Amino acid sequence: MKIKIKDRYQTILLIIILTYSLFVGLVNPAFFSVETLFDLIRTSSTSLIVVIGLLLVMISGGIDVSFMAVALFGSYTTIKIMFALGINSLIFAFGVSILIAGLLGLINALLVNWLKLPPFIITLGTQSLFHGIMTTFIGDKSFGAGVLPSCLNSFGQATIFSFQTKDGKFGLTVSIIPILLVGLITWFILYRTMLGRGIIALGNSEEAARRIGFNPFLIRLFVYTYSGMLSGLMGIIYVTQVNALYPNKLVGEELMIVAAAVIGGTKITGGQGKIFGAILGVLIIYLLNSTLILIGLSSSWNDLFVGAILVISIAVSSYQERIKNRKNMIFTE
Amino acid sequence: MDRMKKFILDDINFSILIGLTICAIVLSGIFIGDKMFSIANIQAMAYQIPEFGFLCLAMMLSNLIGGIDLSIISGANAISIFTAYVLNGQWSFGTTGIVRIILAIVVAILAGICFGLFNGFLISRTSAPSLIATLGTMTLYRGIGMALTGGRSIGNIIPEFSYIGKARLLGIPIIFWIFIIVALLLGFVLSKTTYGRKLYLYGGNPVASRFSAIHNERMCRSVFLLTGVFAAIAGIIVLSRVNSAKVGYGESYLLQTMIVCVIGGIHPNGGRGTVKGVLMAIILMQIMSSAFTIMSLSPYTKKLIWGAMLILVLGMNYFINKMYAKYRNKGRY
Repeated sequence: MKIKIKDRYQTILLIIILTYSLFVGLVNPAFFSVETLFDLIRTSSTSLIVVIGLLLVMISGGIDVSFMAVALFGSYTTIKIMFALGINSLIFAFGVSILIAGLLGLINALLVNWLKLPPFIITLGTQSLFHGIMTTFIGDKSFGAGVLPSCLNSFGQATIFSFQTKDGKFGLTVSIIPILLVGLITWFILYRTMLGRGIIALGNSEEAARRIGFNPFLIRLFVYTYSGMLSGLMGIIYVTQVNALYPNKLVGEELMIVAAAVIGGTKITGGQGKIFGAILGVLIIYLLNSTLILIGLSSSWNDLFVGAILVISIAVSSYQERIKNRKNMIFTE
Repeated sequence: MDRMKKFILDDINFSILIGLTICAIVLSGIFIGDKMFSIANIQAMAYQIPEFGFLCLAMMLSNLIGGIDLSIISGANAISIFTAYVLNGQWSFGTTGIVRIILAIVVAILAGICFGLFNGFLISRTSAPSLIATLGTMTLYRGIGMALTGGRSIGNIIPEFSYIGKARLLGIPIIFWIFIIVALLLGFVLSKTTYGRKLYLYGGNPVASRFSAIHNERMCRSVFLLTGVFAAIAGIIVLSRVNSAKVGYGESYLLQTMIVCVIGGIHPNGGRGTVKGVLMAIILMQIMSSAFTIMSLSPYTKKLIWGAMLILVLGMNYFINKMYAKYRNKGRY
């Protein structure tokens, strides 16, 4: 019964997306095209990767708002190293960035576990700290197109199933492969391993998880490091897509990703959340972002719509939870 | 000596805070003394403290009940946009001069009450965690401001309004007097009235307070109402000092208000902390940020310092509380 309710939420979300798409398509028939879909996937690909990492952290009962700074730190440092050593290898870029970002995630995990304070405050601090360390000690110069190692650009431009239209060549970005891989690996970890059960158990009740033999410290270590590693991956993909390196991009968009995860049905107190839901949440936000102009509103209405959807979804899901808890005489406030 | 020791250890966080403030004053006096303690700079600090201080008081109240209010800054921005619209004649309903200013202030306070009550109802009625609920309303309020202005800055307000920000009484800015009076009143209410005791109990243990016949929902609503009003006052002060309103003003204040609350001894899980600690922390922050401005540090370096400070203070509090618990337990065993 419980599983049914959760599934229903995502079905409703899917129906909302489809109805909205239909509406946009009726107002502006240019919306219905494969290009739109491919474009949506391309622009949202970076967010799709980090939202999955954030999802694991949120299911385990924590929250991470430092991942964008981690992504920037990882990719910026990696590309600096590539400049210094003259390396032009994609595998090196991804490997080193994931390694650096994983280490930063580890620092987050240690701080959260050690200080026993709300992870939001701690990761807000590390967000500034990481960004500050990067810009003060590693560098704060921008690098435009043409300067970056050539392998990055060729990855960013590469497509699969490309086809010819009258506007030029069009294709699905190759970044979809890392997204699918990440989704698959995360799904496997979450639903087919002991670790995944531990993550969900920790989110529901730390005490209960400890008593049935999980080690909360190790689980936390894993989720924050994993989130950091995915951020490192995302940082390089972002650089390949914009084909430039800025020291002040990305940071500041964390809360939008958190909002996406929450719209997708992830519970901030932990224990509940679906990969598919989080992906739908990101897609809703990007869909609004790209289609408001098509239905005749300027993009400055974006925040209003996202905020309204967010407030409504929070109110509905928390109210259901409250009713359920009150029935069982649980007063969690 | 023992009495001295007892006095210091009695409120250890506050004693350390005083020590830190004295350190900051002495250090800045040694290195940049002539610029730091000129009359002009002290007066500039007195002008800068109120807008930041009201936001800190709002954050403090929400932290006292174990929550957090992320929406204060975007709320204050939206309110200052409304006020600017009244003052530049677009929403003035034909009023002029002093009547228009009064109307503007009334509109601002009413908007603050509405925003605060909306937060309060959302959190108390649906039991949504305040972090995520105010993330939603933060996006919503910013969206309202964005949809109204389209991202432009709203200026051209009647010049008499800026007297609020400029006027002085006994050589000290009026806004500073207002801030001090409000802070003292709040301190009195929190420490000497029934409402204050209820608030601390509600923050420390909401389940216990519910079973002690405290109306939890009403407490929650009243706290968020107050944060809304403080945000409105901050919005008015910002408008009268800057003379224009724009979405996105002062977004770095979020981190700084959190730092002030943490340094000021407000426990993020709720139920502990005093106004005097927060006042001291505001003064410390203002001295530091003035010193940074005089030393003309880059925004990135400031970010590094704020982030490092937040993490260091959290770590320090953790150790101090551990040692403090040992000291307190000594007498008992």
